[in-house]
Amino acid sequence: MTLKKFAVTFALGSVGLLTTGATVSTAQSHVNSPDPLLGTPSIATETSNIDGITGHAESGKHLYRRFCIGCHGPDGNGQGMNAQWIDPQPRDFTEATFKCRSTPTGTLPTDEDLYNAITRGFVTTNMPSWRPLSPQQRADLVAFIKTWSPRWAKEKPGTSLNIPPETAITIESILHGRELFQKLECWKCHGPEGHADGPSAATLTDSKGNPIKPFNFSTGDRFMCGDSNRDLYRIFMTGLDGSPMPSFADVIQPNDAWDLVHFLRTLQVALPNQELTLWQSYKAAHGKDLKPIGPDSAGGAQ
Amino acid sequence: MSKKFREGADPMNTKWSRWKTVLTCAFLLIAIALCDIRTASALPTGKVMAIPAFARKYGLPCSACHTAWPELNNFGQVFRDNGYQLMNDRDSPIWQNPSYFPITFRITPSWHRETTTNQALDVPGTITGGAVGTLTQAGFDLSGMDLWSGGTLYKNISFILLPSSDPTAVWHFESAFIRFDNLWHTPWLNVKFGRFEIDNLISEKRFLFLSSNGGLYQIYHFNVPGSINDFGYGDNQIGVELAGHSANSYTRYSVSFLSSNEGGVNFTNSVTPGGAPSNRSYDVNLAFSQAFNAPGPPGESGFGQERIGAFAYIGQRPTSFETLNGNDLVGIDNKPFYRIGFAGDLSYKNLELLPLFMYGHDNPYLGQFGVPSNTPLPAGAQAPTFYGGFLEAHYYFNPQNVALARFEQIKVGQQALNTTQGSLGNITAVSFGYRWYPIMFSRAGVALDGEFSRVRTIGAEPESADGDGTVGVPGAAVWSNSIYFGIDFDF
Amino acid sequence: MRMKFFAVLGFTVAMGSAVMVFATPPAGSGSITGKVTYTGTPMKMKPIDMSKEPSCAKQHATPISTENVATGPGNTLEWVVVYISAGDEGTVTPSQGVRYDQKGCQYLPHVLPMLAGQQLQIYNDDQTSHNIHPLAKVNQEWNKSQPPGSPPIDTKWDKPEFISVKCNIHPWMHGYFVVLKTSHYAVTGADGSFAITGLPPGKYTVTAWQEQYGTKTQDVTVGGGAATANFVFTATPY
Repeated sequence: MTLKKFAVTFALGSVGLLTTGATVSTAQSHVNSPDPLLGTPSIATETSNIDGITGHAESGKHLYRRFCIGCHGPDGNGQGMNAQWIDPQPRDFTEATFKCRSTPTGTLPTDEDLYNAITRGFVTTNMPSWRPLSPQQRADLVAFIKTWSPRWAKEKPGTSLNIPPETAITIESILHGRELFQKLECWKCHGPEGHADGPSAATLTDSKGNPIKPFNFSTGDRFMCGDSNRDLYRIFMTGLDGSPMPSFADVIQPNDAWDLVHFLRTLQVALPNQELTLWQSYKAAHGKDLKPIGPDSAGGAQ
Repeated sequence: MSKKFREGADPMNTKWSRWKTVLTCAFLLIAIALCDIRTASALPTGKVMAIPAFARKYGLPCSACHTAWPELNNFGQVFRDNGYQLMNDRDSPIWQNPSYFPITFRITPSWHRETTTNQALDVPGTITGGAVGTLTQAGFDLSGMDLWSGGTLYKNISFILLPSSDPTAVWHFESAFIRFDNLWHTPWLNVKFGRFEIDNLISEKRFLFLSSNGGLYQIYHFNVPGSINDFGYGDNQIGVELAGHSANSYTRYSVSFLSSNEGGVNFTNSVTPGGAPSNRSYDVNLAFSQAFNAPGPPGESGFGQERIGAFAYIGQRPTSFETLNGNDLVGIDNKPFYRIGFAGDLSYKNLELLPLFMYGHDNPYLGQFGVPSNTPLPAGAQAPTFYGGFLEAHYYFNPQNVALARFEQIKVGQQALNTTQGSLGNITAVSFGYRWYPIMFSRAGVALDGEFSRVRTIGAEPESADGDGTVGVPGAAVWSNSIYFGIDFDF
Repeated sequence: MRMKFFAVLGFTVAMGSAVMVFATPPAGSGSITGKVTYTGTPMKMKPIDMSKEPSCAKQHATPISTENVATGPGNTLEWVVVYISAGDEGTVTPSQGVRYDQKGCQYLPHVLPMLAGQQLQIYNDDQTSHNIHPLAKVNQEWNKSQPPGSPPIDTKWDKPEFISVKCNIHPWMHGYFVVLKTSHYAVTGADGSFAITGLPPGKYTVTAWQEQYGTKTQDVTVGGGAATANFVFTATPY
C-alpha cells in the first residue's frame, strides 16, 4: 500500500472515530439543564460576584462536567454515579439548602459562602478542597450551581451574620460556655464530653431521611465549615441547614456565643488548642468541683 | 494521480510535501468542526499512570484529576504532590471500605503498521546483504501490562508499586517507592525513596500517545550517534528525591540524587554470566516550575493556567570497568554529561500547548567507545552536544474527546568526531492522534486511540527501534511511519 | 354607537375587576359537612417510649401513641384536613394567627392547617429544649433551637405546601403544617366528622388529605344550605 492509501485509510478511520465520538451521547457524562418551567436562573446570564471576580455560569457548566458530575450528578441533585458509595451524600443543589453559610437558617447562602465551601472542601467527607482550581474557575462554578434551583431566581441571599470581635479566652469564659452547653442541651446529641453519644444521637436523620451522626469533638477531626473560632461561632449560630443541627441565633447573646466557642474547643482533646491547655490546668486543680454535664445538672461549679 | 502528489508519496523524497501537510491539517479541522462541545459524549455509560483506584476511593470522576487520562490537570497534580491524598482527614487507608483494593490494570490491544525506509536487506535468495529497501510490518498486537498499586500506607506515607510487563509477560518493576509526605507538616518537604519517574514537567509516563513512533518524546531518549551514554530523560531512575510544592502546586521544585545506572536494579556482577555491570557514581536531577492564572478579556473567564519550568540533569557514566576474565564488573573512570532545558504547560481555554527545549552535552570521552578517561582522546574527538525539543498541542472538545498533535526536531550540535557528517542523527518528527473515551466511570475507563506518526532520522535507526537495526545507505535519511489504532483499558 | 358600547363594556369590566380585587369574599351561608372513614386494615399505632426524656414521660400517665393513622370508632379517621381546592373566589389572610405547641414532647395540634402568609406562633411548653425543624421543600426549610422558657417563634409560610415537622432531639415527634391558599378548611376530630362553613353558593372541588394515605377529591355543589361530602380512604397495614 502506498503512503497515499494509508493516509486515506487513516483519514477515513479517524473521521469514523470522530463522528462516533461526536454524536453518541448519554446522560451519565453530560450535564442536563434544569427544566425551564421550574423557573431556574438562566445558564446564559447567571453570574456570581466574589471579591471583585465575576463568575459566569456558562463557563461553570463545562467545569461542572469535568469536576463535579461524578458525585453531584448530571441533574445537580447529588445522584452522580458515585453517590451510592458516598456517605455523607453529595449536596443536592436543586433544593438550595446548604450547611455551611454565614446567613440565617432558612435563607440562601451568599456567593462568598459557596465560594468558600468549594475552596475549603469539607473535611471528613468526599468533597475535596478545590483550591487547585483558579479563583476564576471557582467563581464560575458558584454561578453555575445557582442555576439548579428556582430559589435563586426568586429570593435574595440572607444577610451575613454579624460576628462581634472575639472575647478573651479565659477560664471564666470557658466555664460559662460549659453552663450554656448544659442549659442549651447540646449534650443530648453531642454527648456530655462531645463524643457524639448523647441520648438522641443514635436516632438522628438528615432532612432526606438518611441516618447522620452528630459531630464528635474528640476524634481530632476538624470542622467541615472551617477551622477557626469564627467558623465555629457561625456553625451553631446559623445552624447546618439540611441536618439536625439547629440555629441558636435566637437564644444566645453574641458574647455568650464566644463563651460557648471557647468551651467547645476544650472538647477537642486530640487537636491541641489554647482553650484546651487552659482547661486542662484548671481541671487538674478544680476538677472535682465540677458538676458533670447531663440530665438534671446545672453544669457549672458547685 | 498528479505528479506532485506521487512525488510527495515517494518515501525516498526528503522534501515534505505541501500536499500532505495540507491534508493532515484539513483532517484536524474537520475533526474540530464535527465535534460540538455540547453533544460529544459517550456510550453508557505502558507505561503510564492513570489509576481508577483513586477515583473509586474518593468517588471523583476521572476527569477531576486528569485532563484526559493519563495526563494530569492541576487538581490531579496537587493530589499527587500531596502523596495521593486529598488532605480531607480521610486519606489514611483505615478509613476506606475494606472491599476497596488500591490496584489498577492497564493494557492496550491494538492494530498498527510500521514502515521504515533505507534499511539494509539481503538480496533475495542470498544471505550477504547488499540490498536497501523499506521494511514494513503490520498486524494486531498487545501492549505490555501495568499492574499498578499506589496510594497511602498511612496518613502522609504514600507509595507506588508498579510491576510492569512487556507484551510477552516478562516482568520488571517500573516503579517501586515509598514517599514521606508533608514532613514537619509542610508541603515543601517530601522525600521519595525507590525507583520512580523523575520530576519531568512534561511527563512521558502520563502522556496521550501510544504508537511506536508517536509514543515517545524523541528528545527524551536522544544521544548523539557514537555516544556510549545510555541516559534517557524519560526513563525511570532509582534513588532519592526531595520535592516540595505550594498548597495549590503553583510552585514546585525537586532535587533528586540517583544512581548512575539508568535506573538499573541490582548490584550484580558478571562473574555470574548475564549480570549487568553497576556503577558507583551518582546523578542529580533538578527541576523547578511556576504556574500562574492568565486572565482573559474583561467579562470573560480567563485563558487558564499557565506553567513554565526549568530543569537540569547532571550525571556521569563510566568510560571503563574493573573486570574479571574480561567480564565487566563495576564502572570506573566516570565522565560527566548534562541535559538542561525549559518546558511549559500553557492553556488557552480548551487548547493546551506543551513546549519543551533541551540542550544536551556529553563529555568527549563519552563519545568514544572503549577509551578510558585516563588515556588521551583520539584525534578529532569533541564533546557530543545536541539541542532541540518539541511542541505538543491538545485540543479538548470535552473531557472525553481530545485531539493531539506534536512536532519535534533535534539537531546535533557537535558530533563525537569532527570528521562525522554534521547532520548524522538529526531527527524531525510529526505525530497526530485522537483519543475518545466512551467510558469514563470512576471504576473503569476505556479510550479509543488513533495515531499517525512520521519520523525522519538522518543516517541512523529510529528511536522506536522499528526497522532491522541497520541503515541501508549510510548517512541518508531513514523515514519511519506508524499508523496505530488501539483500545486502551484501564480498570 | 360602537364606541359607546365598548366604553360601557370596558367600564363594566373595570368595575367588576375592582369588585373582585377590593371586596372581601362574600360570606355565604352554605356549608359542606361529612365524615372521613376508611376501609381495609390500617397500620397499628404504637405506643411511644419517652424514657429518654423523663420530663416529658411523666406528663403522660399512659404513653401516647404514634399519630400517623389516627382512627376512631366506626372506622373513622382523625387529623384529616378537608379543604376547598377549587372554586374559592379569593381569600383574605386573617389578622389572627395560628398556634402550635410542643407539650409533653408532642405537637399540639398534630396537624395544623393555615393560610399562606398567615402568622404562625410556635410555643415550647416543656422543661426540655426542642428544635423545631419544618422539612419544607417548596418553602424554605429551617431549623431553630427553642430552649424551655424562650419566647415563641414567630413565622409564616408563603407558599401552599404540606410541610412535615420534626424535632431531631426527640425523634418520635411528628407533625404537619398544612399551608393552604384557602381559608375554607376543617380538620376531622376523633369521630371523623368535619364542617366547612361560610361558603357562598357555587360549585366547589373539595380535597381530603391524610398524611399516610394521600388525597381524595370530590366535586360538591353548594346551594344556600348544607351539602354533604363523605370521604373513604383505603387503609393498608403498612
